[in-house]
Amino acid sequence: MLRKGYIMKIKYNKEIKWHIVFIIIILILLYPILYALSTSFKSLNEAYNNILSLIPEKPTTSAYKRVLSIIPFARITLNTFIIASVVTLFKLFTSILAAYSFVFFDFKGKKVLYFILISTIFIPFTVTMIPNYITVSRLGLKDNILGVALPQLADATGIFLLRQHMRGIPKSLLEVAKLEKTPQITILRTIVVPIIRPAILSIGIIFFINSWNEYVWPSLILKSTDNYTLSLALQMFVSSEGGTDIPVAMAISVLTMMLPLVLYAICQKYIINTFAQSGIKG
Amino acid sequence: MYSISFRNVSKSFGKVKVIENLNLDIKKGERLILLGPSGCGKSTILRMISGLESITSGELYLNGRLANDIDSGDRNIAMVFQNYALYPHMTVSENVGYGLKINKVKKEERMQKVSEAIDILGLKSLENRYPRELSGGQRQRVALARAIVKKADFFLLDEPLSNLDAQLRGQARKELVKIHEMYNQTFVYVTHDQIEAMTIGQRIALLNKGHIQMLDTPHNVYHKPANIFVATFIGSPSMNVISACIEGRDIILGDEKVELPEIWLNQFASSKAKSVKLGVRPDNIILSNSPGKYSVPVTIRYVEDYGNRVGFYFNFGEEEVISIMSEEMFSRGEKVYWNIDPAKLHFFDAETTNNIGYPQGL
Amino acid sequence: MAKKASFKKYIRKLNQSKREHLLAWTFILPAIAVFIVFMFWPLAYTFYLSFFKWNMVAPTKKYVGIKNYISILTDKVTLQLFSNSLLYISILVLLNFVIPYILSFINTFVMKKKSKSIYKIFIFMPSLISLVVGAIILQWIFNPISGPISAILSFFGITMPSWSKTHGLVIFVISLVATYKAFGYNFLVLLAGVGNVSTELIEAARLDKTPNHKIFLKIVRPLTSSSAIYILIMSIVQGMQYVFTPIKVLTQGGPDNASSNIIYGGYQEAFGFYDTGRSSALSIITMVIFLILLFLEFKFVEKGVYYEN
Repeated sequence: MLRKGYIMKIKYNKEIKWHIVFIIIILILLYPILYALSTSFKSLNEAYNNILSLIPEKPTTSAYKRVLSIIPFARITLNTFIIASVVTLFKLFTSILAAYSFVFFDFKGKKVLYFILISTIFIPFTVTMIPNYITVSRLGLKDNILGVALPQLADATGIFLLRQHMRGIPKSLLEVAKLEKTPQITILRTIVVPIIRPAILSIGIIFFINSWNEYVWPSLILKSTDNYTLSLALQMFVSSEGGTDIPVAMAISVLTMMLPLVLYAICQKYIINTFAQSGIKG
Repeated sequence: MYSISFRNVSKSFGKVKVIENLNLDIKKGERLILLGPSGCGKSTILRMISGLESITSGELYLNGRLANDIDSGDRNIAMVFQNYALYPHMTVSENVGYGLKINKVKKEERMQKVSEAIDILGLKSLENRYPRELSGGQRQRVALARAIVKKADFFLLDEPLSNLDAQLRGQARKELVKIHEMYNQTFVYVTHDQIEAMTIGQRIALLNKGHIQMLDTPHNVYHKPANIFVATFIGSPSMNVISACIEGRDIILGDEKVELPEIWLNQFASSKAKSVKLGVRPDNIILSNSPGKYSVPVTIRYVEDYGNRVGFYFNFGEEEVISIMSEEMFSRGEKVYWNIDPAKLHFFDAETTNNIGYPQGL
Repeated sequence: MAKKASFKKYIRKLNQSKREHLLAWTFILPAIAVFIVFMFWPLAYTFYLSFFKWNMVAPTKKYVGIKNYISILTDKVTLQLFSNSLLYISILVLLNFVIPYILSFINTFVMKKKSKSIYKIFIFMPSLISLVVGAIILQWIFNPISGPISAILSFFGITMPSWSKTHGLVIFVISLVATYKAFGYNFLVLLAGVGNVSTELIEAARLDKTPNHKIFLKIVRPLTSSSAIYILIMSIVQGMQYVFTPIKVLTQGGPDNASSNIIYGGYQEAFGFYDTGRSSALSIITMVIFLILLFLEFKFVEKGVYYEN
């Protein structure tokens, strides 16, 4: 069977070259991950001398041990986790309600309002960073993980994606409920949300991963190491010259990317579908 | 007693007027069909009754009360949609019982009512299935079960059978009538299928472009159509409508002249029609080799065999007429006679398209 | 107590449609509240600040009119920021828009074997990784002394330049960090858009022996314009913000602003030099540029959507 396939290969000659192109691209894209993974298990010595080998000759967890001794790793991970969870829950909450309103209610100015909300995606952070910084300071939340979460309780992309998914629900389903005198909030809770649950989950995962990876805003707000998130902790191990502890830098990189990659491995199909839809406008 | 009344109701979507000055009275407990082609406004009328569509002007009365501003949920209406609108994430029982649960009916009472509805619709053993696991016919019955469980005053159906296979439709029609006879709710049924209308309805409201063309029993709608639209819409294949000239005691069809039946002369006299059109159903046109009392010679232009019946096409002038008979007796090109049966004729005012009526004693 | 009762009565008297209006706004309120407090008010306030001189701490602000704008627009550094930004945009558009676009076309219509759908799963993985992680890993990979690329190049006798000290090259490497993040996502979105083009159109063109590049330019490109314009604009708008992180983490804008862009420059003015006035002016100018892009997008996307419908 396989033999016959290979004889047919002559016909697919043109196609094979594209497969090779893609495989090369994937190898290039995955190399940094593999580099980080392998270097994190190398000793300091090997990291500098055995650069090209992806499999450490003498694998060791010493880098990871050093990470744990230098920074309060558990605390930092917890900070990151708390911020990501709070942000995700609020973003989902505000987005689900807003999307529901845009899809199932009719009101004056709906189109204009929607346009305005979606346009927030195009606002560069430099335009809002100073006032938000001042707001957070005035609330006494400087160097506080809640100060990081606060400005991020809503998300225009979330509203957009959830709206797309809700539009797929036939209006007749809601009309049946309306004839039963079901209040809108109950319709949302018992009908709409259960139907789009997979979308909500994958959008939630995306929110979580984005918050987990965030750097800019936390770097402005958080100052003391105890309050750091993983991205900020990682920054501590950068030097513009080189000549520091590569395995440690790689170890903490690996630790940081573990969660998103694991989540991806579990829900990869959903995540891809959700992202793929975000570019289809209308 | 009228349970649903429309008084001068108009409905516009933006600038488009869909329903204009509608006056309609639906009797309590009757089965009324809203029939018509796509876009005639029948679904809009149904949705106005349910409150899912607002009323632009005019009044709607439900059981004597002005209902324009009453919430859909307070109108005591059950509705069945064309796509059944079943909740995909709930089982059959949960679907049927959803309304009761929302309205805080106690669990025991709810279970009992749900079980009763499921039994009536023959859905026992499917209680825990999900809609995606059911066939089209089963889904339709779940939608019906959900609608009957609340024993509402008004039962609205929006093309509930159009997604079913033709064979299932016959069975479903009977079941619907059976359900109505059980509960005697006011049934308002929307369809574009005239067979459903004729078999299910006690009265039919035939609509075109937002206006009621005729409101009457199926028998009258078929045998005494109020205008040309009704005449050609009802009946398959459609009624032939032929331009006709009345000259003294004769009627001129195309190039042929034939003596007009006596009784019709008086009818023409009393009607004010300046010119008329003759309507006659294909199966009421009898062709024969020998002429009868009122005969018109025709030349057969085309023959179509449908298996159980045969269609013969001929012309009056430019207008094509079809006669349908049970046997293939004639062939193309043959010259035969149409023996007119005066009792099977309909005449319409060519200007207003209205039926000029039927003579007494026909 | 009385107020609540009469409020409820008021609500009940409102007809169904008015009540729905009220409910609609209530549902949107949480999102709008957040946007107003943390997006729209800050936008307005930044605009306001651009006319003042203030160091974020002093109790009073000094009104200076459009001085900040003039100062920014006549600053030699600003010129460099703009030219850097253009270079960033060119690289980002090429790597994050053009290439994924072509690849998505190839994957959909040139490749036929089923295995082609597996590739996107791996291509998307880097997009899930934090920019900081990407920056650090790439910094080591491109390390001119102890990095793998340097090691490979030395096999060929080439010494790797110290990119973080080299004008131009530094922008390129920083762009690679942003590309690492954006490539997979952009590819996915474009793949979905291209996938929506009906195969029959392509097959008809193939029957006419149309070459692939023509199929792409004349058929696929117009039909996927809405996804494409979205990604093109995102490559610019998001890309310019993505490079902020590697700039801040790796080069801090250096050497001598060689790697800075209008976004990083704005940040520096505020949190490096404590000149909120100039920072705000620069941010507003950036905002205007982005708004023009947004306007262009809606113009093209609306058109595209209309025809698709």
